[in-house]
Amino acid sequence: MSSVLETLVDGAPAVDDGEFGPARARALEILRARGFPTRKTEAWKYTPLARLEQRELAVAGPATGEVPDAPSLPFEAAVLHWHNGVLDPSRSDLPRGITLTGLVPGDVDASRLDADSPADAFSWLNLARFEQGWRVFIDETPDLPLVLVSTWDDDFSAAAFPRVVVELAPDTEAVLVEWQQGSGEGLIASELGIELARAASLTHAVRREAGGTALIQRTHVEVRNGASYRGIVVDGGGSLTRQDLGVDLLEAGARAGIHGVGMLSGQSLVDYHTAIRHRVGGTNSEEDFRLLADDRSVGVFNGRILIVPGADDSHSTMNTGNLLLGENARINIKPELEIHAEEVTASHGATIGQLEDDARFYLRSRGLDEQEATALLKYGFAAAVLDALPAGDLRDWLDGAVHEHLRDQS
Amino acid sequence: MLKIENLHVEVDGKEILKGLDLEVGAGEVHAIMGPNGSGKSTLGYTLAGREGYEVTEGSIRFEGADLVDLEAEERAAAGLFLAFQYPVEIPGVNNAYFLRAALNAQRKARGEEEVDSMTFLKSVREQLEVLKMDQSLLKRAVNEGFSGGEKKRNEIVQMAVLQPKLAVLDETDSGLDIDALKLVADGVNRLRDDKRSFIVITHYQRLLEHLVPDRVHVLSRGRIVESGDRSLAERLEREGYAFLEEENA
Repeated sequence: MSSVLETLVDGAPAVDDGEFGPARARALEILRARGFPTRKTEAWKYTPLARLEQRELAVAGPATGEVPDAPSLPFEAAVLHWHNGVLDPSRSDLPRGITLTGLVPGDVDASRLDADSPADAFSWLNLARFEQGWRVFIDETPDLPLVLVSTWDDDFSAAAFPRVVVELAPDTEAVLVEWQQGSGEGLIASELGIELARAASLTHAVRREAGGTALIQRTHVEVRNGASYRGIVVDGGGSLTRQDLGVDLLEAGARAGIHGVGMLSGQSLVDYHTAIRHRVGGTNSEEDFRLLADDRSVGVFNGRILIVPGADDSHSTMNTGNLLLGENARINIKPELEIHAEEVTASHGATIGQLEDDARFYLRSRGLDEQEATALLKYGFAAAVLDALPAGDLRDWLDGAVHEHLRDQS
Repeated sequence: MLKIENLHVEVDGKEILKGLDLEVGAGEVHAIMGPNGSGKSTLGYTLAGREGYEVTEGSIRFEGADLVDLEAEERAAAGLFLAFQYPVEIPGVNNAYFLRAALNAQRKARGEEEVDSMTFLKSVREQLEVLKMDQSLLKRAVNEGFSGGEKKRNEIVQMAVLQPKLAVLDETDSGLDIDALKLVADGVNRLRDDKRSFIVITHYQRLLEHLVPDRVHVLSRGRIVESGDRSLAERLEREGYAFLEEENA
């Protein structure tokens, strides 16, 4: 086990400490037995965890100091603000329909985690180390989107382990936004669970500017009968960002659409690992992830669609389109379809290309200079994933983020 | 306005234009016709400043200034516009955003004030009306999912908004039905005045029935081999290019 990560394991709260004691004890046992992923661990071979070795991650929890206000949003929203990995619930004013409570052991389900390999090590680590865990319950369609803001200081060098479960009751509809931004040189290894009951509908957007802090985010979504999940991730790059997004379509009529764009430059690394599992028939999914890699950045997309035996009449499409913009940039993509049922449709498309000279000349012939033309083409490519969202404040906000990021990058 | 002398152009090491001379005065419409492979589109791309179209000899002067050393966007700001034979699709970028960015980039380069959103939208909506194009075009990605005719009309909308001094229309009539052809010709005719000039590259005389040229030139094997008034186009329509081969034999 690496020395830095070993320190994090040993820094866990005492195993007999509190109601999560047994779960933590098991997590630590598995971590000590299996260790952390290495380049030889298939699902982690492009995530350079060795970069963490160069850091001195504080063993103690994040320092508590003056908590700044959450960055402002251009639309009205209910905000929960984590700073340096810690949520102060007293600063939150939630609208009717949304309640926030602390996690209880029954909320922590480790049954789906792999205990026989290092693949889920960061989920085990989160379970062993999380200091706060929160459950957001939406039992009535709220008037406002709920925004989970996570910020961290410029000198943030700790390891933080946020843990949140969001549950939507039957027939409710909500917009959930995660907005993560900061710099520093820490590690945030978070767990987000999303549970959508019958006929619930969730739009879930993630906007992320991770800076130097390593983000390892594992999101797991369960979608029940007739419920619908729409996820969209907009990443502005970071020193080491790993997003695992797993969606289980558990009952007939469940639908999911997941979309993402990573805009990478410098030495950024963003690694998306997605899995959509059609557990029963009559389920639908679509997926579109894009990476733009400039300079010496590295982008990874590994998308898996699983249709289990008996999940007949399921339909799935997956696309990944990628732009290699820098001579020294790298993009690794691996779409995987595993179909074990009949009467299904499943398709995937994957491309890696470069900006087209024809398009660039077309824009320049209309008056845009080389830099403006390049920025506009990159924007067009990236912003296309936002088509998954209806017109409105959220889409405009994300569109502005894409535009701003690519303009600054050019 | 435009004076081309002894223009030689190479593409991928192959000489396409071989000593082309052409002079277009302010307010004039010149048609350029010629068989496939004669260099018509090469002339358009060369004027617009496309990379890979290397001027090896000769000169192009636009309003007295040397055009050859200018970048494509500098030529656009100077007032040159190329309506593409095959307009390019730009996914994810809507027409309104693109066109306003282009207009303001040109204005900025000329030291003019940028156009505000309201003024811009009013102008572009008027042009859409003229070309009988749906206003929803403004929100659609540039040329994406457009029919061939829509793409060509969109080129004319762009031209009308950007108000160039010299527009080169590269086979803008190809792929258009009769009604669309008239609309495009009307759109161009509305822009004609004693200061704005056009070079109309076409295979067919039918566009020239609606868009009457002052001069017609025949381009063959990289050179202008015949020039005349509009009757030359009518003769080409009747007899093809064979008679030129005989005359130049």
